[in-house]
Amino acid sequence: MAEPGVPTADQVLDCTGMACPLPVVKTSQAIKKIELGQVLELLATDPGVEPDMQAWSRRTGNELLGISKSSEVFHVLIRRAR
Amino acid sequence: MWSGDFDSKILYVQTHGVNDPGRSATPFFLAASAAAMECEVMIYFTMYGPTLLRKDVIDKIGPKGEAGQPLRYFIEQATGLGVRLLVCQPSLDLNDLRLDELIDGVDMIGGAAFNDLALTADAVISF
Repeated sequence: MAEPGVPTADQVLDCTGMACPLPVVKTSQAIKKIELGQVLELLATDPGVEPDMQAWSRRTGNELLGISKSSEVFHVLIRRAR
Repeated sequence: MWSGDFDSKILYVQTHGVNDPGRSATPFFLAASAAAMECEVMIYFTMYGPTLLRKDVIDKIGPKGEAGQPLRYFIEQATGLGVRLLVCQPSLDLNDLRLDELIDGVDMIGGAAFNDLALTADAVISF
């Protein structure tokens, strides 16, 4: 169940086990395949994913809604904003 | 040479070649990351760099040898995201190479064009 206030993903991109730069590369491709305003959830285990996705979101103008971690997997929620 | 279609432009310079495989892949994956961040990206291969683009080499070497992906994987990841690859004639001569011995899609430039790219890039990163 989704927590209250946390947007649910329209699309999930599983990049667990993949190393830099694949999570960034695949996110940039996946975000273009959802509609404006929809939310992509990236799952990743690359330890650099948090600063990477902050930088990527800032650069591309997409909205980073939040990053959480559960059992070694980062869950990154991004809303397509452009 | 920059298209002007992107807010930011990064030029990478690769000077290392087939004799140092551990240094072969990083410029490609940094370039791929930059392209994924919607930057316009080029990699200029000079000194020994052009040897990494030989058709008969890209499946035979990789940064971790047999244990990892071949160089082709890193090259195609970058070019698939729009990264452009550039060489110059003197560095082909240095390595006794011709343009037709390199993979498709490599563009030839000269020193003036390189300097102009560097002067108009937002960042130039050399290896």
